[in-house]
Amino acid sequence: MPSFDSNAFLQQFLYDPTHPLLFNDGFFVFFFGAFIALYYQFRHNIPVRKFIFCFFSLYFFYKASGYFVIVVFVAAVVDFILSNAIYRQTTQQRKRILLLLSIFFNLGILIYFKYTNFFISVTNDFLKTGFNPLNIILPVGISFFTFENLSYTIDVYRGDFKPARKFSDYLLFLSFFPKLVMGPIVRAHDFVPQINQPYVIKEADFVEGFFLIISGMFKKLIVSDYLTLNFVNTIFDDPSRYSGMENLFAVYAYALVIYCDFSGYSDVAIGIAKWLGFNIPPNFLSPYQSQNIAEFWRRWHISLSSWLRDYIYIPLGGNRTSNKFCFALIIVFFVGLFFGIILLTSISVFFALLICLIALLIMLLPALITNDRSFIGTNFNLLATMLIGGFWHGASWNFVIWGAIHGIGLAGYKLWEIIALRFLPKFKSNTFNTVLGTILTFQFVCLGWIFFKAGDFTIASTMLHQITFDLQPALFIDFIKGYWSVVAMMVLGFFMHAIPNHWANAVCTLLQPLKLGWYILVFFLFLLVYGYFKSAEPVLPIYLQF
Amino acid sequence: MVNTNLRVVKLTVYCLGIYILISIADLLFTFPHNVFTKVNLISNIVQSPTNQLVIEKKDVVAPIAIIPLQKKNFNLYLQKGKITSFNSDTNTTSIKKFIEKIASLKSGKKKRKIRIAYLGDSLIEGDLLTQTFRRLLQSEFGGAGVGFVPITSQVALFRQSVAATYSSHWQDNSFKTKGNQSALYLSGHQFFGPNEWVKMSDHVIKDTAALIEKTLLCGHSSNPLTLTINKSPTIIHADKRFNRIVLRKDKSKEIEVQFGNQNVPIYGISFESEAGIFVDNFSFRGISGIEYKHIDPNFLQLIQQENPYDLIVLQFGINVMYKPETTNFSYYANSFEPVIKSFKKSFPEADLLVMGCTDRAFRYNSVYSTAIGIDSLIKLQAALAYKAEANFYNQYATMGGKNALVKWVEQTPPLANKDYIHPNIRGAEELGKLLFNAVMKEYNKFTTTSL
Repeated sequence: MPSFDSNAFLQQFLYDPTHPLLFNDGFFVFFFGAFIALYYQFRHNIPVRKFIFCFFSLYFFYKASGYFVIVVFVAAVVDFILSNAIYRQTTQQRKRILLLLSIFFNLGILIYFKYTNFFISVTNDFLKTGFNPLNIILPVGISFFTFENLSYTIDVYRGDFKPARKFSDYLLFLSFFPKLVMGPIVRAHDFVPQINQPYVIKEADFVEGFFLIISGMFKKLIVSDYLTLNFVNTIFDDPSRYSGMENLFAVYAYALVIYCDFSGYSDVAIGIAKWLGFNIPPNFLSPYQSQNIAEFWRRWHISLSSWLRDYIYIPLGGNRTSNKFCFALIIVFFVGLFFGIILLTSISVFFALLICLIALLIMLLPALITNDRSFIGTNFNLLATMLIGGFWHGASWNFVIWGAIHGIGLAGYKLWEIIALRFLPKFKSNTFNTVLGTILTFQFVCLGWIFFKAGDFTIASTMLHQITFDLQPALFIDFIKGYWSVVAMMVLGFFMHAIPNHWANAVCTLLQPLKLGWYILVFFLFLLVYGYFKSAEPVLPIYLQF
Repeated sequence: MVNTNLRVVKLTVYCLGIYILISIADLLFTFPHNVFTKVNLISNIVQSPTNQLVIEKKDVVAPIAIIPLQKKNFNLYLQKGKITSFNSDTNTTSIKKFIEKIASLKSGKKKRKIRIAYLGDSLIEGDLLTQTFRRLLQSEFGGAGVGFVPITSQVALFRQSVAATYSSHWQDNSFKTKGNQSALYLSGHQFFGPNEWVKMSDHVIKDTAALIEKTLLCGHSSNPLTLTINKSPTIIHADKRFNRIVLRKDKSKEIEVQFGNQNVPIYGISFESEAGIFVDNFSFRGISGIEYKHIDPNFLQLIQQENPYDLIVLQFGINVMYKPETTNFSYYANSFEPVIKSFKKSFPEADLLVMGCTDRAFRYNSVYSTAIGIDSLIKLQAALAYKAEANFYNQYATMGGKNALVKWVEQTPPLANKDYIHPNIRGAEELGKLLFNAVMKEYNKFTTTSL
């Protein structure tokens, strides 16, 4: 007979480092139940409602990251004071000093927690300093909330936005639990005005919220987790043990995993926000449907790419010219690229130089062809933004390489656009070209994912080697037989991805008149599917190379 | 406009209520296929007897009977970090013949070669574990050279201890191909490559003054073989069923061989200094060791005559536990026992060391933990060693016992891969050191008692 374990019950309320709180935890179901009941009860009393919201949000963060919740709170206090101070100053110079203080503070937190050990290892590698790495734990969500803080004070400085007068407004903006841990990155001018609005949910929002939560959970918990645990992690951990075929599919599977994971979590966050009366813009728009790399970046992690555009790309000079900082970064990049190629691969100096020259030529050719110098600025600024964006994802060279691939890819696409426009007058967009463009874009993005996911450069280059020289196409049938459940999940995932967006909207409209009982049924059906996959026998890694 | 905020609250509260009720029902009555167990909302705040995994305990060493002998103690197999010959008096030396030989090598009385054949599955692929074991042994007892290198290999490019490149039309006859397997080498392969070439460079030799023998291991050819070694034409005679032919003996660590137009079975090339200790890595991915039954025992004896081994290590078992729920391995014991016997008979001068397999984890109730069958399998492996009067080393216990591999995967930096099977290069380094330490314990026992 099962008996109630009071000790375990009390433990549930404390932070457990081995089980940080996520939307798919049992605890979250209770958390959300309690929260929504209280929130609804006090919906007309805005100060109390806000207090409840802040309390639950900070508690959520505590359950997800322990006492680092203090960092969120302190950051909110400091930025609230600084932003109001910036707003009150009359001279531009004082505003600027306060802004620099805010940037210094926020980047300082981010760099300390996220990059200290990386810089220690870099100094150890290059200067043979022999510093010991520090025991620093990365608080969850720090990359997201520091970026939110930064954009907030910068907007106030630019005069785009009047700072929040009440601290509770600002604290809620920063700690709003649906997006605190994994984004999307929310902008204050979108969000803060919604805080003090009446709690109203339109019928369409209710359905859409439900749809986003369930489909987001499905993407994250079923597609992504299944592929990660049963296939992707195994291959990416030691690619040399597997054939090129397995490696290639691991990369495709990872493309699905990262999309389902990231967009799934974003969708749940946006869905929950909708149910609480907040509108957060979509973060992903079926990115693998993109026909070119520039379009990909308008559809992938939109809240981050628009943040990078507004606060890095445009300050660097945007699509006009590049500033000194950008030029310095580009010079460092090309020097680094040259020595990096020599150090990491066995390519000769001549070929390393050749690769650097080709990369540089891709950057410069649009300007040479059109005689318009602004293309140089645009390309350099894009590359610099992509490098910084890559580094934001994690403290590792591989993310920098990923950023570089995309930066050069964007320049390459620009070059192609110019060539097509000038020299290929007969080139037009038809179904064939659309499909070809989509496939090529997807392959290019996948090339980037190899570096994004691989633990280090050796793993990434091993994968590339296996895919290039040990593909063994004859294994295709064996592969499908051996990994049929993985393949089936991939087919399902890509099929879901290929569904046009307006179909999803049509489904939502169809669902609107349904009674509540149907929603409950769908929820429990989802739960059963989730339970099934959670207990499904793991797919065992197999060897295909006999 | 309709405000549906109450609908959100109702949906949440109804779902929560129903969810709790189903969870309670799930704990009280078992649902078919446990469909709800993994998503039970309250299972972690109740103590329930169904939460624990039940492991069947059977007579796990069946069909191998352990006959109690006066001077033997079977349970010594449980020891960690030690090689046992099951002798109740633990002061006696295990793998004794081998230890005697390395002691005499160390004392300088006898300049000779001592060879270890390390047979295994993917655990030692790419010379993992063995490269560490070799390095430590050679630094203690002397010797330079990576030992045996197969002509081609799936992991040739990733093996750090040797760089091997080869032409593309070598034909591989192996444990996994359909062909006569009676004359495969201990590597489980033989290669055929008329007019093919191979180029190898040993990366482990540090001693630039040492004379290195580059030896060809090959099968029978009725006519003399024409080879081009390092661009110079040579004729050799391979008239025995198994031949060991020194191609070059000089300070160079490299060799390039272009074969002539004859269809002769070629096994590999070996790099060895004139004297010292050598570890030949024979990895074959995916096998369990029973495949060796296909090699003709007479051929094994020829190998022992021409290229004698002093210690045979059998590193298998991981691939036998390929299903999470398997706890009965009697079929494996039945097929592996003849292999051990055959090795015992064919390599009479060598000691036999059976390695208890390393830890492997599966997901049980969505948490990774050690395969539930591992205790049975290791006991069975030990029983095989006991019965065959071979030696045994419990790797699983040595690496930390239950859930050791889970810890290895999860620690930073990790020591094992996320397939929860293979230690990575750091983990393999650790295993190599542990095995070396175990050998040194026997060596120290021997030298202190024989003084």
